[in-house]
Amino acid sequence: MQQTTEVTAATYKDRIARLQAAMKEFGLQAVVLEPGQAMLYLTGVRWGRSERTFAVVLPAKGEPVWVLPGFEEARARELIHVGDDIRIWQEDESPYERIAQGLKDRGVGAGAAPARVGIDDGLRFFIFDGIRKLAPRVDYTSAAAVLKQAGVEAVQPPSRQ
Amino acid sequence: MNRRMFLAAAAAGVTNLGAQRPSEIPDAIRNLRPMTAGVQPITDEERRARLDKARRLMREHKIGAIVLEPGSSMFYYTGTRWPPGGRTFALAIPASGEPAWIVPEADQQRAQQAVRMSADIRTWTESDGPYKRLVQVLKDRGAGSTIGIEERVRFAVFDGLRKESPATGFVSADPVTVGCRVIKSPAEIALMQHANDVTIACYKAVFATLREGMTNRDVSEYIDAAYRALGYQGNALVIFGKYTAFPHGSVQPQQLRQGDMVLVDDGCNVEGYQSDITRTTVFGKATPRQTEIWNLERKAQDAALAAAKPGATCESVDAAARKVITDAGFGPGYKVPGLPHRTGHGIGLDGHEWTYLVRGNKTRLEPGMCFSDEPTIAIYGEFGVRLEDCMYITENGARMFTRQSIAIDQPFG
Repeated sequence: MQQTTEVTAATYKDRIARLQAAMKEFGLQAVVLEPGQAMLYLTGVRWGRSERTFAVVLPAKGEPVWVLPGFEEARARELIHVGDDIRIWQEDESPYERIAQGLKDRGVGAGAAPARVGIDDGLRFFIFDGIRKLAPRVDYTSAAAVLKQAGVEAVQPPSRQ
Repeated sequence: MNRRMFLAAAAAGVTNLGAQRPSEIPDAIRNLRPMTAGVQPITDEERRARLDKARRLMREHKIGAIVLEPGSSMFYYTGTRWPPGGRTFALAIPASGEPAWIVPEADQQRAQQAVRMSADIRTWTESDGPYKRLVQVLKDRGAGSTIGIEERVRFAVFDGLRKESPATGFVSADPVTVGCRVIKSPAEIALMQHANDVTIACYKAVFATLREGMTNRDVSEYIDAAYRALGYQGNALVIFGKYTAFPHGSVQPQQLRQGDMVLVDDGCNVEGYQSDITRTTVFGKATPRQTEIWNLERKAQDAALAAAKPGATCESVDAAARKVITDAGFGPGYKVPGLPHRTGHGIGLDGHEWTYLVRGNKTRLEPGMCFSDEPTIAIYGEFGVRLEDCMYITENGARMFTRQSIAIDQPFG
């Protein structure tokens, strides 16, 4: 699972396709990731975490939705090679609205199936809290198992359970 | 701005290069004297008062307990440091009674030495996991049905907790943690003053060594070395020329040329308390355009400082700086050329923390709050200027920790 610059956009597309297959098996309509191991493996994007939300919504069907700070757009575009649906939020706007809208636009909660979204184990509580307030009817569950099935090696888990 | 988190995440070699080529660090930097004398750490008495305030805020907000993982909030209340990202190592602070620690059996010995402010330590084993222990603590303290989760707790920890206690409501602990941390005590302000003094000493020494042909990475190494000589850990984002227009710089290689803008941003920490200072100057002779924009930036920074009076809203401070820049024909709003981000952030144990000088934030300034004042002017294709000093709010208005830059060719006041 070494990350090298030779890994191409096609590789990331394959990895995301594998995740999408796993999502269907696990009954998930999307996975939400913060920068970290899973984002790096699946998209090649390495980004430092700060208080400003930077996230990607990977839906079971359709293109990724990137959510990031407006003034970082130019720097981020240099790094993003998978998907061009980039939704910026300005300093006085809510990144969670962008994420909730991204989930909706990718069909989360649209069908007969209950809306289920996988959350990166390392995602910080404030981001989850922001999303759930705007999309309260979704069942949010750990994405650990689906990510593992897609080949993402877990960082040391908070506990074995 | 603050680059530390970017550097940490990138695990880039930047900070290690200095160690590989120590012979190239100029004597003026290597011979800096340590500034470690006279630092007064936060006392246990002050931490107990913080815990008392947290309990009061919990009762006010009907939160029975708050749960924290390692990080700045845990350090704030207890003085305990623990590496983040590993096995669950948590602290529960109840509205009534003593805090309790949940520590992994595998790290038990180390944990015994690390934990402070409470002797109630519950060890969890691989077979039982941490969450039964955590829920038991909450029961023992009568924490009830609403539990606050600290903002940076990982989803997995929240998820483990809610599975173990499905009837409990989990809410943001921000009203408690932010409510405490946003107001700094005199002891905290003294530590931040020290961190600011160290950063200015570092920058002064490094700016004096700028020479044509240096790369921005060379300058970063000098900064790291200067902090080491001063007795602290710190680093900086260094940007030259047209890349100064990008608030967090660029990965493009940069070599210093006559007439380049030079922007250096970030800080160090003293007993956990952060400094965050940006200086922008020109290498060589400034053009009239560079001087004009630099002067406008200084005017915008002054406007925010003047507006930051107790009782003023956070958004009004942003508006004051932004108006100076917009009135000069830039923007409007976040549009570039102009000011693409908020005017400032709170600062304390985190380089960026609540609350923010940003449109929409109607929080009123109170004595003891600390902020950066840093309205960047970004002109893509040309250059950017950012002057960043941090200020603390007093009964009589805002005071800078540092002397502001005087002129484009006099970055230190």
